Formats: sequence, C-alpha cells, structure tokens
Amino acid sequence: MTFACFAVLFLLISASVLQSVAVPSRHKPANDKTANFEEISREADRAREENRDDNAIRLYQQGLNFKPTWKEGLWYLSTLRYQKEQYSAARDTLRRFVAYDPQAGPGWALLGMSEYQTHEYSRSLDHLRRAMSLGLGDRKDMAQSVFYFVSILLTRFEQYDESMSLLISIVKSGQPADSLIEPVGLASLRMPLLPTEIPPDRRELIRMAGQGALAMEGNHQPEAGRLFGNMVAAYPNEPGVHFLYGALLMDVRPEDGIREMKRELEIFPFNASARLRLAEEYVKEEKIEEALPLAQMAIKLDSKRASAHMMLGEVLVAKGDIPGGIRELETARDEAPQTIRIRWDLLRAYTAANQGDDAKREKEEIEKLSKAGSAQ
Amino acid sequence: MFPGMGLTFSFLILLLAATLQASVVPVKKFEQIAEQAETARTTDRVNDAIDLYTEGVHLKPTWSEGWWWLGSLLYDQDRFSEAEAPFRRFLSLTPKPGPAYAFLGLCEYETNDYDGALKHFRTWAQRGWAGTPDLIDVAVFHFALLLTQEGRFVEALYLLATEAGKSRSSPGLAEAMGLASLRMKNIPENYSSEQREMVWLAGEAALYASLPSYEFDRANDYSHRLLVHYGQQPNVHYFCGTLYGLQHKSAEAEVEFKEELRISPHHVPAMLELASIDVETNQLPEASSLAERAIEIEPINPVAHQLRGRVLLATERFQESVRELEIAKQLAPDSAPIRSHLAMAYRQLGRKKDAEREAAAFLSLTNKGEGLAPPYEKTKSSEQRGQPK
Repeated sequence: MTFACFAVLFLLISASVLQSVAVPSRHKPANDKTANFEEISREADRAREENRDDNAIRLYQQGLNFKPTWKEGLWYLSTLRYQKEQYSAARDTLRRFVAYDPQAGPGWALLGMSEYQTHEYSRSLDHLRRAMSLGLGDRKDMAQSVFYFVSILLTRFEQYDESMSLLISIVKSGQPADSLIEPVGLASLRMPLLPTEIPPDRRELIRMAGQGALAMEGNHQPEAGRLFGNMVAAYPNEPGVHFLYGALLMDVRPEDGIREMKRELEIFPFNASARLRLAEEYVKEEKIEEALPLAQMAIKLDSKRASAHMMLGEVLVAKGDIPGGIRELETARDEAPQTIRIRWDLLRAYTAANQGDDAKREKEEIEKLSKAGSAQ
Repeated sequence: MFPGMGLTFSFLILLLAATLQASVVPVKKFEQIAEQAETARTTDRVNDAIDLYTEGVHLKPTWSEGWWWLGSLLYDQDRFSEAEAPFRRFLSLTPKPGPAYAFLGLCEYETNDYDGALKHFRTWAQRGWAGTPDLIDVAVFHFALLLTQEGRFVEALYLLATEAGKSRSSPGLAEAMGLASLRMKNIPENYSSEQREMVWLAGEAALYASLPSYEFDRANDYSHRLLVHYGQQPNVHYFCGTLYGLQHKSAEAEVEFKEELRISPHHVPAMLELASIDVETNQLPEASSLAERAIEIEPINPVAHQLRGRVLLATERFQESVRELEIAKQLAPDSAPIRSHLAMAYRQLGRKKDAEREAAAFLSLTNKGEGLAPPYEKTKSSEQRGQPK
C-alpha cells in the first residue's frame, strides 16, 4: 500500500486541505461549552502534533460531540483513523466531512481510498473519480495514488480501455513502470482482477503481458515482440495472449498479425477486440466482405462499444452503404463523443452523402477536440 | 377606578397573553421549521435541510414526514448509521411505510447489521416490494447478497436472474451471481481475494445463461475456463452441471454432478440433481440410493424426501411413497412439485379426497411460483419455466 501511505502522510502534515476551519453551527453552544470545545480542540491538535495518536483521536471525538460540524476535527480524525488502519471508522468520518465540504478533492480521495480498503470497490471508484475531477491541488503524491487506484478499479469493473489510458498517462508522468506491470498486464489481458487478486499460477503470464504492453507503449517494438513471443509460447491457450501478440505484429507483418488474431478467436470466440482489429486490417486490405461479419459480431458481443459501431460504420461506408455507415458512425459518436477518428469518419461520410451542414459541424468538432488535445 | 387597578388589569392581560403565547409559539415555530426544511431540501441545501429536519423532529417527535426526509437525506450522503434511526422512527409512526423497509435494510447492510437487513428486506418484499425502479434494483440486489450469505443460494440466484434481464452486463451482478452459483456463503466485500477469478468466471457464466437471450455459448466458454483453472474446487462441477441442466444436456450434467461427488462426497445438492436425472431416466435403484444418502446427511431436506417418494411411487410402493411425500410436504408446504406427487400417490391408494386436495394445492402453488425449484429452474424466465422439459 505504498501509494496510500504516501498520500496519508502528506495529508497529515498538510492542514491546507481545509479551506476554512470553522463551520458555523445552527445550534450555538453556550459559553462554557465554547470554552470547553476550544480547550479540547487545542489539546487534540497538540496530541496530534506530538504523535499521541490515540489521545488525539479521543480528543477529536470529544470535540465533535460538542460541535458535530467541526470540519478540521472531522478531517484530522479521519486521517488518524486511516493511518491506524481503522478504515471503516475513517470512511464514516470522511462521509460526514465531505457532506460539509463537498468540494474538497482530498476528502473524496481519502474516502475513496478508505472504501478501497473496506472492499467497497464501486463506491471507491466513484469517489476517487470525483476527487480527480475536483482536483487535488499540488498534492502530487496523493494524485499519483488516486490515479493508481482509479486505474486498477477501472480494470476490476471491466473498463479496460479507460484503465489502460490512465495507466499509460501514469507511466508518462515519470512514475517507475515496475509498479505498473501487473495493472497493465491485467488491463491488457482484460482480466477484471486487482493486482492483489492475481492467482499465483497466473502471475507470470500477467507480468509478461504487462511488460510487453509497456515495451510496446514505449516504442520498444523488438523488446515487445520478444516478450509477447515468449508469452505466446508459454501460454498458448490463454485468452488474450494471441490478441496482444497479433496487435503488435499487425503493424509490421500483417499476415502474421492476422494469423495470431485468428488463433485468438479460436481460443476465445467472444473477444470483440480481436474481431475489430481483424476487421480493421481487412478494410485496409479492401477485403470488405471478410470485415463485415467480424464487425457485426463485435456489436452483437458488445452493443455499447463505440469502436464496434465505428468499425461497422467504416465497413459499410467502404462497401458503398453510406446511409447505413452514417447510422453506425452516429451511434459510435454518441457513445464516444471525444473520439476524433469517429468524427473524421463522419465528416467523410457526410461529405459523400452531400450533407454539407453535418460535415461542417463535424469539422468544427474535430478542430475543437484537436485544440483541447494539444492544450492537454 | 381604584388606584392601582389599571396596573393590575394590565398585568392580568399581559399574564394571559404570555400564557397563550407559551402554548402557541412551539406550534408556530415547528411549522416555520417544517416549511424552511422543505425549502432547503427542494433547493438542494442538503446540510441545512438535515439540520432543520433534525430540529423539526425534536420539536415534534411524531412528525413522520420529517423522519422520512431526514433518513432519506442522510442516506443520500451515505451516512448510513445516522440514517437508520430516522427510518426506524418513521416506520414506527406510519401504517404505510412504502419503501422505508428497503431503505432501513440498505442502511443495516452498510453498517454490517446483516440479520437486521435481511429481516427488513423480507418485510419489504412481503409488503409488495414498494419503491422506485432504481430503489427496487438496489434493494433486490442487496437482498440477494444476504440470501447468499445465509446459504439460500437458489432464492438469491432467482432474484439476481431477474436483475440480469435488465442490465446485460454488470460486473457487480456477475460477482454476486458467481458467489451464489458457487454456493459461497459470502458477500462481495468479504471473500478471499484468491477466489476472485473463480467467482468472476462462474458469475459471467451464470449471467450469460440468465439473460433473456440465453447466451449459452458464451456461458459455456466461461464455465470451460472455470473448469480448466478451478476444476478441483468444491461446487465448480456442481455449478457446471446445473448449467448443462439449463441447456437440457442431461448426459453432460450427470458427468459433472458425479465429478462433484468425487471431489465433495457429501454434496447433497449434487446427489439430488443426480437422483433427479436417474428418476427421469428410470434408473430407480440408483436414484433411491442417492436420495437415501441425501436423507442420511440432511434429514430435513424436503427435496431428498420428495425424490425418495417419487422412486417409491414409481416402484408402486404407494404407502411408503405417501409417507415420504408427507414428510416432504411437512418440510416444504409451499412446494408445488411435492403436492403434485403426493396427489398422485394418494390417487394410487384410492384416497380420492386427499388427492383432490393436493391437486388443488398444486395448482394454486404453481401460480404463485415454485418454492423448491432447483437453480436451473429458478434462473429461467417465467415464460421458459412454463415449457415442458
């Protein structure tokens, strides 16, 4: 749990997470209560600063009895509980904290990490994503932890492509790739497991896949080829293995790439990604009739998948069925409005269909998306 | 007027006014608070609304609407332990609790009070499954998780299968179906990480087999992978056998059930599935021996008694058959198949009235749904269940 530990240590010394310390309470305490509260809060802070954690926890709890909306108290109580691995208690306190400060990115981050520890993965993912969208300021360590947790949870929830994009962005941010081999391997093989859930007899396979995918991403194609080749030799009957090797080969030796994709479909006929990659190659080679059933089957397997609709759209356009192609491409655009390739496909299809206004709109969208991409 | 009289009179009026005010102010204050609470809630000032409803229910503890909104708002903030008490108060105050039992069950689930949650989900179900479609989905899902944890796998799968029809792909649903299919008395938050892949593979197989489109090819692909990697684990072959049963592949199912018994010699559900196949293929001595072994291990298993009763019926030992089937009926009075076989046995003994009574019970129970159907029956849609095997 290196990622989580970094984040918490950072948070404990960073009081700046609290935008404002005091929250006005609806029920004003009496003067003696106020005095008591202030005394307790001072004692609690002192205990925390002197690393007397148990005392600090008790005092923050006492302070919160006086003033349940005491944001600083809720925050420090949460971080102390998290640090002491009292995750469900930390989670409950953080839920109160974010209720009073819903814009606090670090609050959502620590809540998501607590929920990760209590195995409430769905909530954890939601809350960590919320933290990402709210931002974590200059807390780089915490941001790295959040990105890591989000990426492995995305894999567990079968959102492999999104997970892979995030993992690649983590690699590009300069983090050591070693800690990412297993997450990348799991996402590449489309196995919805956390790294801690990898069965011992599959760890080597997953690591080979991860190392190969990272080498491919780093443009070390010969190294990736060697790793994937070894993987295929060692695990010839595992789903996903021939797909990865085939995807690598497709760009350099398409005939070998096609062979690997076909082998993949013999082992795992429901691999929609393999069907789409094969269809793409056939379109490139103008073998439209061979591409068509592959794209159609991919949609049957995964009707919500934008890339499947995009591929069928491309196939239909190539076949001369422009209205049919536009219909599929529009579905793809609705599923993934940020994908530039779909917009380009639509621009060309609209132009072929003499739908000038639609083509113009797509062109504008492409420009907008390109600008946003460069800015990022 | 006597001197001082005016002053006394004024004092009396003031006193009277003060007395009146004392009785009026709280009502007025409560009404103001209730109005402010509603405004805060409808304008999304959630924390203010929570404070105001809290104040309102303190002023008027019988304000059921206040308890309801307080519970709901806290629930929306995932503050489950705090939401429990308001829902309880609401339930004690209202004769028409609507979905409140479901909310209370969900809060209890989140605070690890699983017995309380199960009890309240049951009450909610008995009272008609009230709530919005979203709430029903969430509550049914959690209800099923707790049934699995309690070992009521068939009921859990039945509920989960109804959810599978609504959402084609859901990792959470697949996980829940995997646990129930593998007869693991766990909820998703508390099973071993080493078992995750096994649960996932079983769950995907169960999910695809439960879809309205019956995607058995895909289900079989996952169950094949399950067998390759986890074929030595208990319950895996039993689950694969039930999948074959769903596809009416009795021979393949039989192989799997036998393999399960090799791995887990005391696996009563596998014995009963095998016995059932044997009865259908007229291998009555084998069926009888399996049913008797099952009764030895689980004397209060109604299906075991039912199967023994069926064997005895088929071998024309009607008195003994009635005895077994009556035990089965006592153990599971809501089982339509038991009542049907009992009607047949009575008829053979010439007990016409008893036979008619049991036949009527069978018809009435069939309309309500089968209480004791095996998993592959339970996971079928009602349309498919109506078809003869």
